[in-house]
Amino acid sequence: MFEQLSAYIDSELDEVTCRDIERHLSQCKACKVCLDTLKRTVALCKHLDEAPVPEDFSNRLKHIIRQLALSST
Amino acid sequence: MSENPGKKRIQDRDTPLIQAINNGQVHLFQDLVKRYERQLYNFGRRLCGDASDAEDMVQDAFLNAFRYLKNFRFETKFRNWLYRVALSACLKKKRKSKFAPERELSLDEFLPKDEAAIPTELPGWAAQPLDQVLTQELSDTINEAIVELPENYRMVMVLRDIEGFSTSETAHILNLSEANVKVRLHRARLFLKDALKIYFDQA
Repeated sequence: MFEQLSAYIDSELDEVTCRDIERHLSQCKACKVCLDTLKRTVALCKHLDEAPVPEDFSNRLKHIIRQLALSST
Repeated sequence: MSENPGKKRIQDRDTPLIQAINNGQVHLFQDLVKRYERQLYNFGRRLCGDASDAEDMVQDAFLNAFRYLKNFRFETKFRNWLYRVALSACLKKKRKSKFAPERELSLDEFLPKDEAAIPTELPGWAAQPLDQVLTQELSDTINEAIVELPENYRMVMVLRDIEGFSTSETAHILNLSEANVKVRLHRARLFLKDALKIYFDQA
């Protein structure tokens, strides 16, 4: 069961396997804690902030692309 | 494994822009850069672990995308194609720098060694509201742990859990089977879960 917890979180398992896992989780506190901490790990990763693109790099990149576009027309 | 088995033509919000560029309005490529530079830059930072390497990756990705956009066949979303181009630029660079062989993560290393030490109570960090837990310090810790993941696992984890690609899309971008994506993702998540446990145990 341990190896299927991520697929369970992602709803990628068939119904029978899901029911087996849920039956086990209802009786096993350790596995329930493992599942909930794994779920929280995934949720934290999904909510990480995005860093802004450094302005000088962004300007340099756009300049290069502008030159390329000019030379290709 | 194929994300678009019947090779149907995929239309999304990028389609009109790409068609306009390929029909001669090349200056509009800047709009694609504006649309994706931040996503790609953050992807690069997590993949390369370094802001300067991330800049190189983003630049190479857009230059290659500019060069090969005419070959884009709309068989996948443009965003997926762009990430594939970015990954390829990143891996090419890493091969040149002769990276150390990749470590494999085994499921056994995440199984508790001592049964008595298995927690049966939900720790505070998993029970409290997410916005109360996710501080800047924790974000930095997670980003550092992501960079510590072996590359094969890091690529899968970042594409799935941060960039939001599906299992099928991730498999297509990385040229892996879906089963392989699932195995790597699970181990990567267990690795990060352990890193979080260590962080909160020490706090």
